[in-house]
Amino acid sequence: MKGIAAIMDREIRAYFFSPLAYIVAAFLLLVNGLVFWLIVSFLNNPQARFGAPLELFFGQTIYFWLVLMFVAPVLTMRLLSEERRSGTIEVLMTAPVNEAQVVIGKYLAALVFYCFLWLPTLTYVGIVAYYSEVDWGPVAAGYLGVFGVGALFLSVGLLASALTRSQLVAAILTFALLIPIFTFGLLENLFNDPTLKQAFSYLNLWQHMEEFSKGIVDTRHLVYYLSATLLFIFLSAKALEAKKWR
Amino acid sequence: MIEAQNLTRRYGDFTAVEQISLTVDEGEIVGMLGPNGAGKTTTIRMITGFLPPTEGRVTVGGKDLFADPVGVRGDIGYLPENVALYPEMRVSEYLTYRAMLEGMTRAQAKKRLPETITSCFLEEVEGQIIGTLSKGYRQRVGLAAAILHEPQALVLDEPTVGLDPKQIIAIRELIRELGRERTLLLSTHILPEVELLCDRVIIIDRGRIVAEGTPESLKESWVGATMLRVELKQGTEGVAEILERIRGVSSVKPIDGGRSRFSLECEHASDPREAVFRAAVDNGWTLLELAEERASLEDIFVRLTTREVIEPTAPEPDESADEEVTS
Repeated sequence: MKGIAAIMDREIRAYFFSPLAYIVAAFLLLVNGLVFWLIVSFLNNPQARFGAPLELFFGQTIYFWLVLMFVAPVLTMRLLSEERRSGTIEVLMTAPVNEAQVVIGKYLAALVFYCFLWLPTLTYVGIVAYYSEVDWGPVAAGYLGVFGVGALFLSVGLLASALTRSQLVAAILTFALLIPIFTFGLLENLFNDPTLKQAFSYLNLWQHMEEFSKGIVDTRHLVYYLSATLLFIFLSAKALEAKKWR
Repeated sequence: MIEAQNLTRRYGDFTAVEQISLTVDEGEIVGMLGPNGAGKTTTIRMITGFLPPTEGRVTVGGKDLFADPVGVRGDIGYLPENVALYPEMRVSEYLTYRAMLEGMTRAQAKKRLPETITSCFLEEVEGQIIGTLSKGYRQRVGLAAAILHEPQALVLDEPTVGLDPKQIIAIRELIRELGRERTLLLSTHILPEVELLCDRVIIIDRGRIVAEGTPESLKESWVGATMLRVELKQGTEGVAEILERIRGVSSVKPIDGGRSRFSLECEHASDPREAVFRAAVDNGWTLLELAEERASLEDIFVRLTTREVIEPTAPEPDESADEEVTS
């Protein structure tokens, strides 16, 4: 446990020391701010349909996904690949911690930083609450969805980072893995067979987020994120272990 | 304390380390000596658990590395060959991190930190960012991190590389001090270091142990005989033959292929200097130099690691050189 905490602590500090993290934070905030502003001005039009701005904000614009698919590779690409490139992995793997602890410590750091990135968006909630009424249920569910999808995406990035010593390759690999994970669900529209349609709809992240933003917390979605995340973390630990034997 | 049995590491067809067995007893300082690429680092990496051996096993303090890797890693303090640090961290921050990685609490680390920083001469850079440090300082940060958690065994891969002479002396002093209460395995290619520090030396070449023993015993068994250097003003035909006939001289080798300078290998416990002088007088040679050369560990090292067939039962006179002289 102490090992995990030490690794996590160091990794979180490393985020705050790196300019890259600030670029990501600024980018995320800029895009989110812009989207929020667009949504609010759209809804302000008297002819617009009735809707809650925060509901649209979570996952109902393509920006949400683009940003997420950019943020996940950037936050995770360094985690393990840089350790191997610089040689610090030798210190890590001769310290009294096992591969699983290393991987978990790193992953948790990425997750914490990811949550930190979303923190400023709470001001949007504050703004809406100030001028109008906020339905807190859907907002909480929206954040839950952001957390769940983020957790899954970051675990994919972690695995990619465990597979290579190049940050660039890790980022590209993450992106390449995230595209099918994200778009698989969209294939549902291609099938008429109800079983296949249902299977793909189970994986449809876009639809998941739409439900979350409306305040529907479907535990099946959460189970999907959790199990997939754990799978990728497990694979990362195994990948790290396997690297030794070559 | 540290025990390695038949360690072998293969990379495909290439064998980096073959059947290396070594033990380091408690409180002993053992030095691993070998040319670059001999397999020192590979051996050390297998002992510290970074690299799994293809064959063989390692136990540290009775714990098997394969069965209890985390336990063994906790008992070893390790300074890797390329001291890799996180460039964005400050020295004290990094040391605290390493201490916590080894299972110490933040409070324990804080308590140990000043002492370690002083003993590794890091006071001046304690708050500095590691990325801005010189190679010598980084080396010492690595060393500090290895000893911070007070491990029972220390494994240091080239601990004095990149240091200036003054620092080398200070670090050697520190190593000697550490060796008093701890088990220490270090690798180096600096020969005087081994003679100064180590109780026992293991010489490795091409992945195998070629010699092992105390520095003194190595000197005795591997060079054994003393060498005489003889220089004459003018060399003439037959000098080598005359010198060779002197009692106590086992072989004569011309230096630089000339006829006026010779290197004489002497039989064990004999001192033929007087006889050489007499021979010079009798034959009317002008003797410019007659000096005894003591074998250094360096000679042994060069002899053991040059690419020739090695007979581990030296002292054996060099037969081939003999023939060269007489021809």
